[in-house]
Amino acid sequence: MKKINGPGLGKPIILAVFMLVLTILRPSSFLTVGNLSNVLWSISVYGIMVCGTIFVFLIGGIDLSIGSLCGLCAVTIVKVIRYFDYSNTGVLAGILAALAVGVLAGLVHGVIITKFRVPAFLITFATQIIFLGLSMILTNNKILSCLQPELFTAIGMKKIFNFPIPIYIMLLIAVISWFILRKTVLGRYVYAVGGNACASRLSGISDTKITVLAYVFSGFTTALGGIVLASMTQQCMASTGSGYETEVITAAVIGGVSLLGGEGTVSGALFGAVLIGLLNNGLNLLSVPSTEHGLVKGIVIILAVGFDALQHQEKFRNWLSQFKMKRAREAA
Amino acid sequence: MNEDVILEAKGICKSFSGVSVLWQVDFSVRKGEVHALMGENGAGKSTLIKILTGVYTKDSGSIFWDGKKVAINSYKDCQKLGMACIYQELSVILPLTVAQNVFLGREPKRLGLIDHKRMNEMTQELIDQYGFPLEPEALVSNLGIGQRQLVEILKGLSCDSRLLIMDEPTASLSGKEAESLFSIIDTLREKGVSVIYISHRLEEVYKLSDRLTVLRDGKNAAVLNHDEIEPKKVIQTMIGKVVDESAGSSKEMRKNTNEVVLEVQDLSDGTGLFHHVSFQAHKGEILGLGGLIGSGRTELVRAIYGIDRYREGAIFLNGQKLKPSPKTSIQAGFGFVPEDRRGQGFIPLLSINRNTALTNYDRIKKNGLAVSDKDELKLCQEAIERMDIRPADPQKQVGLMSGGNQQKVVLGKWLMRDLKVLIVDEPTAGIDVGAKDEIYGILERLAKNGIVVILVSSDLQELLRVSHRILVMRKGAIIQEFDSGVVTQSMILEAASGLMGKEKAV
Repeated sequence: MKKINGPGLGKPIILAVFMLVLTILRPSSFLTVGNLSNVLWSISVYGIMVCGTIFVFLIGGIDLSIGSLCGLCAVTIVKVIRYFDYSNTGVLAGILAALAVGVLAGLVHGVIITKFRVPAFLITFATQIIFLGLSMILTNNKILSCLQPELFTAIGMKKIFNFPIPIYIMLLIAVISWFILRKTVLGRYVYAVGGNACASRLSGISDTKITVLAYVFSGFTTALGGIVLASMTQQCMASTGSGYETEVITAAVIGGVSLLGGEGTVSGALFGAVLIGLLNNGLNLLSVPSTEHGLVKGIVIILAVGFDALQHQEKFRNWLSQFKMKRAREAA
Repeated sequence: MNEDVILEAKGICKSFSGVSVLWQVDFSVRKGEVHALMGENGAGKSTLIKILTGVYTKDSGSIFWDGKKVAINSYKDCQKLGMACIYQELSVILPLTVAQNVFLGREPKRLGLIDHKRMNEMTQELIDQYGFPLEPEALVSNLGIGQRQLVEILKGLSCDSRLLIMDEPTASLSGKEAESLFSIIDTLREKGVSVIYISHRLEEVYKLSDRLTVLRDGKNAAVLNHDEIEPKKVIQTMIGKVVDESAGSSKEMRKNTNEVVLEVQDLSDGTGLFHHVSFQAHKGEILGLGGLIGSGRTELVRAIYGIDRYREGAIFLNGQKLKPSPKTSIQAGFGFVPEDRRGQGFIPLLSINRNTALTNYDRIKKNGLAVSDKDELKLCQEAIERMDIRPADPQKQVGLMSGGNQQKVVLGKWLMRDLKVLIVDEPTAGIDVGAKDEIYGILERLAKNGIVVILVSSDLQELLRVSHRILVMRKGAIIQEFDSGVVTQSMILEAASGLMGKEKAV
């Protein structure tokens, strides 16, 4: 029988068609190393974030705060660097401080969700507002620029072999995330808890621990995203990172990650991020006015996801026919 | 045709995919009578009710209402005739008031808006008429289960129903609530409303019903009048004599060892779901745990395994006191197959491979941090082979498999461990006969290897066939202990439903 739980064909087809169209229409500018590197660079912040947040999706949770947490971490590193008078020590301290903020936020989410049984949607919706508020206080609602030292600006801008550093960070995080999910016991438990928390608990798995870890890792990658974002833009303000939660969730959903938990892969989620990046890039290359981007993007997303939904129906039909066969056998 | 009869069904047949579920069943209810419908699980009671209420369509036969032949094709049809069904799972809407629930979808209107005042008055009239302890404006969410049920009954009566169908109405009621329900049923009878009463609790049926229809294997087994209703007779009609006396004797008896493996001492949960439960289980013993649904069996085994907390008492495994948590239980050598297979037994989205490995990662080899895929697969293949899981494909998603094979996967994940005690709760519910036999075989093999098997089952034949010793629970306590060689189905049923004269104090 056909393998049915692999990623659907819908998105690769859409992607291939889209790239083909662009290659034909813009032969000189689309399919170049420079342009493709640009696409990857532009998705790297939410690409990094989705590699951690996927853990939250896989256990059947959601984290709406990642956008404003990303902003808070960006503010944190910039404030620390300015406090240390733009020194390299300041950069290191800032990175550690930002990561600590992210991990702590994840820990708080995880503990509140598991111990006080508050729905993830509600608590992360509340912390989204809190993090934004904290950034407002820290920045005094002004733009803080941070153009030096070089150690800081290099994180977001410096190129190694023609590719900016954020792309390497994204790939590294993706590999770590893939390894944990695909290779370790922890990863197995993540899928188990997301697939059926009750059955997992009866099998001796602490779903509480797994849930907390998922939110912590999500906080960690969000902080990393914030650091990269701050360095890319060399400035920060309270609203830095706002809206990134949408990009992350969109990338995950396009990539076949189920928001109900238990289903999805890192490669799928990254694929979703790449598709968003290519869409943005293509629309710019084709000089589509930015006012129309939203409409086109939405339609492409519906096409991609709809195609997969059709395939899922196929899966359902398979199941149904099996069920009918069984009934027939029993009758015979 | 008798004028007294409100509902009559004649020669009802129904089959699903060629399997006959009801065969030539006759059933009639007189005006103003309480008519009990009894039978074992799977005897066809609920199918019959679903045909009468239009949920299923019958294959053949006819239904008469008040002497006229009628076609009931949907629940609406049955409501129009004047029948109402009060299901086991109540369908009241919690955030609404009593009156809003009673008139849901049929609210009295004034100028296009709901006339709350009139609705409350109309509800109050109904309440007064039947003497229910309810307030029209009370929120249903503030009411107890018993009162919520009354709301449902009131809803049925408000459509001028002349026949109420009650499916296990006392299953979730306290003793006092049940008593008041009985007096309400008496009131209904006086007002000329007929009631079809479905219950497993024999003593209720004896007390309440004017007549009793027993189904067995989808056929009419007997219709008894009130003065003919006698506990032993009903039980024997329900299960059929032949099976009753012979089951249990063909089984290979356990080797006599007196080595106590599991000891439960005076276990109570503090809320009365189970209280002062003590027993011992010996090496290689299959210990059956019988009783009615709601008698506390599932709650007890869940507490023993460590999922739910207990307030008092202690559990010892080989003389060592156990800390209550699934994790420590598993490490100590417990396995647990829950009652709700799909909801708690396995992970439907994951493959056989990942499901069988779930409890075994402490034994699967690792290369550094990475799980050895090869070792994981080897364990799965061993489980597939030992349990004869079909299809024998480790990558097969368990959610797409048949019930019997899903259960084998659940058993398989425990059998790969060094087990001392395996708790199985309704292991063969919803599983076809062939797979049932295989599962019995597996349990027997485990016992032969010295493992204690605790079997919770509502299937009496299963209890008698598989277990060496049977404990019967009633209202949270163990009230009887039987050696399976000498016990019959009727003895267990009598004990479970409280008909045994001498209740053994444990």
